[in-house]
Amino acid sequence: MTLKNEKKLANVDIIQEGLEQLNYIGNQQIATAVFLAYHLEKPILIEGPPGVGKTELAKTVAEMLNLECIRLQCYEGLDESKAIYEWKYGKQLLYTQVLKETLGEILDGAKGLTESVTKLHEFGDIFFSEEFLEPRPLLKALKKEEGCVLLIDEIDKSDHEFESLLLEMLSDFQLSIPEIGTIKANDKRKPLVFLTSNNTREISDALKRRCLHLYIPFPDAALERQIVQARVPEIAENLRNQMVTFIQELRDMDLKKVPAISETIDWARTLILLHTESLDADLVKQTLNVILKFQEDIETVEAELQSVTNKALKENQ
Amino acid sequence: MDRTLVDFVKVLRTAEIKVSPAETLDAMECMDLVGYENREFLKNSLALVLAKNPEEKEAFEDCFERFFVMDKPAQPGNTSSSEDESGGEDEFDDGDFNAEGESQQSGKGGGQGGGQGAGEQEIDDSVPQLQPTSELGKLLTTGTRTEQTISMMEAGRKVEVSKIVVFTQKGLFTRKIMDAMGLKGLQDEISDLTAHGGPGQRNLSGRLKKSRDLLRERVRDYVEKQFFLHADETGKQLREELLKKVKLSSLEKRNFKDVQEVVFKMAKKLISVHSKRRKTYKRGQLDVRKTLRNNMQYDGMFFNLKWKASKVDRPKVMCICDVSGSVSNYSRFLLMFLYSLAEVLPKVRSFAFSSDLGEVTKLFQHSKLEEAMARTMRDYGNGSTDYGRMLQDFKNHVMDDVDNKTTIIILGDARNNYGDSKSEIVKEMYDKAKRVIWLNPEPKSSWTVGDAEMKKYAPCCHQTEVCNSLVHLERVVSNLLKSVS
Repeated sequence: MTLKNEKKLANVDIIQEGLEQLNYIGNQQIATAVFLAYHLEKPILIEGPPGVGKTELAKTVAEMLNLECIRLQCYEGLDESKAIYEWKYGKQLLYTQVLKETLGEILDGAKGLTESVTKLHEFGDIFFSEEFLEPRPLLKALKKEEGCVLLIDEIDKSDHEFESLLLEMLSDFQLSIPEIGTIKANDKRKPLVFLTSNNTREISDALKRRCLHLYIPFPDAALERQIVQARVPEIAENLRNQMVTFIQELRDMDLKKVPAISETIDWARTLILLHTESLDADLVKQTLNVILKFQEDIETVEAELQSVTNKALKENQ
Repeated sequence: MDRTLVDFVKVLRTAEIKVSPAETLDAMECMDLVGYENREFLKNSLALVLAKNPEEKEAFEDCFERFFVMDKPAQPGNTSSSEDESGGEDEFDDGDFNAEGESQQSGKGGGQGGGQGAGEQEIDDSVPQLQPTSELGKLLTTGTRTEQTISMMEAGRKVEVSKIVVFTQKGLFTRKIMDAMGLKGLQDEISDLTAHGGPGQRNLSGRLKKSRDLLRERVRDYVEKQFFLHADETGKQLREELLKKVKLSSLEKRNFKDVQEVVFKMAKKLISVHSKRRKTYKRGQLDVRKTLRNNMQYDGMFFNLKWKASKVDRPKVMCICDVSGSVSNYSRFLLMFLYSLAEVLPKVRSFAFSSDLGEVTKLFQHSKLEEAMARTMRDYGNGSTDYGRMLQDFKNHVMDDVDNKTTIIILGDARNNYGDSKSEIVKEMYDKAKRVIWLNPEPKSSWTVGDAEMKKYAPCCHQTEVCNSLVHLERVVSNLLKSVS
């Protein structure tokens, strides 16, 4: 498999660097996964809690390689007519109407029904050719000559049937359309496939078997500081350290939904808007709704707000 | 390298990481690509290919560390290969890993490591020399540590040390490995040397003896490690199989943790089997709305008909558990089971009683299983059993919520201390609920003996089952999930 930017995938360090340049800070495992996915021609199944940058990884890789990112958002009831292809019925109908006139000429001289039908057969199934096919994301991704990044987002939200539908695509990079035949990806430039899952249900073994499995956990403090630095460079170092410590503290608490990286970044932006220089309990209380999304959680944290804030301040003096 | 990988996969499987042959092939491809120079890189890569969920990743990490590490301990006063020792020890951190790979190559080159030593030894008396002649002797005096390790592992493979099952086999395998490495040749040489006692010979024989003992020590270590790698998990599996079949009432407290693990595992299996929500199609009933909507794209021409289908509902379960002394263990595990199935059984209401009935649903949803169990036992576990009272309570407080989608599971021995059985309430349940299942931990023969009221209750239940081990529990719960339609 060769992509036009193959050099950017030559080894793990280069990949990690490339991602970092685009402000995606990740550990070595993430870079290794991208490296293997490209060289072994396998899709990556990314799991992890929400907001750790699963979707972002696919988008960043696409940007890094300068490829189009084709995204398929999964939901309950997603089926092949929305994921793979659909016939352009309107166009088919219109063309039949237009061609009605010429039908006489074609059938000219044919005697009887059998002969007419035989004559019609000579024209083949023009109405079921690629001209009349409306490609949906999966088919589109296969047909990209220059390769692409295909992102199948939140696969766990789709039905079981859809998972099975994906298997052919994921193992052989091909799709079968009954009327036309099998469509294969360009052998040299297969799409780079990312699947993400929030683990609301178990993904079937058949699907897992065909994928590399990458688990992205919450980052540790050092990594999170780097991420905030990369994403919100205008934040002061002192404040950054304080808020990261604060967030890390929260993750240890018993909350319904712990804040993820995306929340940390939102919070950093909020604090900048408010011209904050240092955390204090009042300010945290007012902005708590940026990082916590459940009233119960907010109440739990408010009780211990003072001590957690003090801890964050103390550790980063 | 292939064989090493296959061995590794075997280890992973014993550690309950599901690795299919296809994944093994992937891993081989991956190894070709990655090489084995960089340990961390290889670990990350293999983790991506072989371990497919967070728990497996953890187990994988463990296995990888144990499998791909040779014996590192610095042996005090090791004189066996004095020159190499200092160098060997330093580079060992990186070197140990390569050892795995090289061993394979030497294996392909024709097993020169082992048994030949015994046959080839010829001790030439006429020309006294201070170099050992047996293969093993040579290896011990001149070979590097890495070479010795390789030879040891070769021998280990030959005698199939990975098949070790119980710890009593340790000695046997140690000896087998030593034999395969050519111990006999060495022994003969040593005895020859001591018999023809020049000072030079004696010196050499002393050295050989010493290094032989050291080697034995190392082989023993190696076998020990292999035992932990291969047998520990097999033993665990054996134990788990046993736990599944043992009577729950005879379990002791120290087993609870193991049992809990087994229950979770069984629950997980059930979840993956039943997590697919089925639909049943009502044949012949046209779904007009869906058909209209679906055929809009064809200009309202009906050629893609949609039939009515209804989603199969998840069962609504009400679980009434006797938590008095005699049956409390069963209730514990039934509840454990039901709550581990939250993903496929979202609506479980549970009640506990020995005489008064109390709802414990909230308790189980909000606190940890162990704690919830303990509190249930404390609050409801005392007092003598009174089924009549329990049923009356149920009728007063809960009966209104029972509808034709509800499955009621009653777990208890139906021993009512000769009180009023109130079986008419069970009859009422029978009429209102979808299913009433009675689980009785006692064997069927004693269902009517003494104060047991099973005879009165049984006709009012859709199903009565003996249930006294995890296997029974699993079957009941599985049927429960299956019967919904």
